[in-house]
Amino acid sequence: MGEWTWRAFKVVQSLVERMPRPWAYALAVMAARFAWWFSPLARPRLEYNLKVACPELEHDRIALRRISWLNFRNHAKAYADLMQLPMARVEAMRPRLKVQGWEYLEEARALGKGILLVSCHMGSYEEVAAIWSANLAPVSFFAEELEPRTLFEWYRDTRARLGISVLTLDHGGIRKVLQALREQEMVITAIDRDIAGTGYLMPFFGKLAPIPLGPAAIALRLGTPLFPVCCYRLPDDTYMAEGAPLVYARPTGNARADQVRATEQLLRRIEQFIQRHPEQWHVPHRIWAGSP
Amino acid sequence: MKVGLVSPYDFATAGGVNDHVRHLAVQLQKLGHESRIFAPSSRADVDFDSARFYRIGTPIAIPVNDSVARITLSFHLANRVAAIIAEERFDVLHFHEPLMPALPMTMLRMSPTANVGTFHAFARSNVGYYYGRPLLQPYLAHLHRAIAVSEPARDFVTRYFPEFPMRVIPNGIDVDTYRPGLAPIRHLRDENLNILFVGRLEKRKGLGDLLRAYRAMNSRVPNVRLIIVGDGPLRGRVESYVARHRLPNVIVAGYVPDSVKPRYFNSADIFCAPATGAESFGIVLLEALASGLPVVATEVPGYMSVLEPGRDSITVPPKNWRELAASLVILARDEELRRRLADYALQKARRYSWDKVATEVLEVYHEARKYMAARPARELEVTGVHHAV
Repeated sequence: MGEWTWRAFKVVQSLVERMPRPWAYALAVMAARFAWWFSPLARPRLEYNLKVACPELEHDRIALRRISWLNFRNHAKAYADLMQLPMARVEAMRPRLKVQGWEYLEEARALGKGILLVSCHMGSYEEVAAIWSANLAPVSFFAEELEPRTLFEWYRDTRARLGISVLTLDHGGIRKVLQALREQEMVITAIDRDIAGTGYLMPFFGKLAPIPLGPAAIALRLGTPLFPVCCYRLPDDTYMAEGAPLVYARPTGNARADQVRATEQLLRRIEQFIQRHPEQWHVPHRIWAGSP
Repeated sequence: MKVGLVSPYDFATAGGVNDHVRHLAVQLQKLGHESRIFAPSSRADVDFDSARFYRIGTPIAIPVNDSVARITLSFHLANRVAAIIAEERFDVLHFHEPLMPALPMTMLRMSPTANVGTFHAFARSNVGYYYGRPLLQPYLAHLHRAIAVSEPARDFVTRYFPEFPMRVIPNGIDVDTYRPGLAPIRHLRDENLNILFVGRLEKRKGLGDLLRAYRAMNSRVPNVRLIIVGDGPLRGRVESYVARHRLPNVIVAGYVPDSVKPRYFNSADIFCAPATGAESFGIVLLEALASGLPVVATEVPGYMSVLEPGRDSITVPPKNWRELAASLVILARDEELRRRLADYALQKARRYSWDKVATEVLEVYHEARKYMAARPARELEVTGVHHAV
């Protein structure tokens, strides 16, 4: 994204943040329709990924089209949520969030070693993070640095005012993640895409894909529980944060094997999330070899 | 004791008086008293967990004192207010800015109980007080005791109403909420030195001077960042100034919820309050001191009633961005000085803790009730409300 694209984004964002939520969504759905029809690469890649995740879609073109359209639609609505964040208030967000698997979150908090929430690219995590940051413990996102820098800074500053720190996938970021977990905070990251390019090849929906072992490595080092969680949109445009049983990374003397074992357990839970909500999992990027 | 706290300002908008009212309500509950809050609100969904909140009237924005006051001017509050007063049977009604129309004045006129007023404002002059003296004097007569949040606030009122006795009780600070050691916004804790501004983005807060000072100091101090917390009418101009001059490392965070604000203080190294005048106290100064931050502030009367230059702060004349820049550079370069000022700031903030302030306010309530018992007011009937107003 160049300087002029960033400026265009900022103009649209300034408009959207002042709109009532239903209007912002209506605009988002229009933009999603446009992107779904005319994106040269995003839609083919997304549909390829969906076919790997849900093999039944391989032979059902109508269902695949419907799910990929819903996927674009949900993602555009998540973008509208993001654009409205600068004026959003946590008090207004609270009634929009439902939580399943709260007991796992409590179990993890009781350990007092911070919580590493491991997820996938699905839903509006800002809403969940803002509410939990206000009520439970400070939340940090451990995520990639976007291009251009101005856009990334906007993302970061917008999240910060809701109490969410954004830590980048580099050495400085890792140091801060460790510090945050030592101080019993929560860190959210996603493992369904190997952004740093250092992933370990392992089966993801039965096909080998590079998957980051970082969260498992951190969990092994600090004894932090790994909490698989996903956040998805409900039909009434509220959100569900759904947690699965905790994954504990146990050291056996072979660090790499331990990391792989914990990550495999996480992946199984993430696969279940995605298979239950394929219309919400938005990754229009190459995950597996053979993708367009 | 059952206390009704009355604020004239929009409860949905952040501000010093409403913060004061919220904290006092919480503190009174902690001390075993009941509290209720009366204020106008621009949003119907505004509520307050710690005390029952009565939304009375819809506010409109009125430019006053280089700022914008969001108050209600409705003349149709009386019946509702009278019904609530009759039902709640307060022991004390505590009016914040009691001479501000329309809610505090309406309630003050109708109150059958002990009335206490707190004056928060300060200005060089006030046309309303000057010309409205004959009209306002009878309202003051309804107050059994009065408080000013600082010497300048007291002087401001007594300039127009010389015979009016007032006790100075400062604003308080919640030292459990604002303290060092809270989780910072982690990505702000890097190699940069963070200068924090917190306040409404309006002319009297002096952010323009701070931006000029930051621009001047930028070449002299590498790795510095300016964090601006707050929203207001000048936000667009602030953002365009930053863009036009390509100021590096400036974050305009906008409105930050109260739950997150202490974390911004914990992410900063220096707090800057460059107000140009018309500040009666400066609660943000207490928040900074309690968070263990050294302060660079302007020598406006309200700020000087809180700060001790050289011990907890460096102060400069208002509207002088060159001296502001020089002071920021001195403090940015001298870690030892920052530490020394911060240590004293922490000690000092404890003097302003809300439990101490609320205890003093309670003493005033008791005095007002004694005074009231000696001269009881007539009970007001709801049906006679319009005659009373």
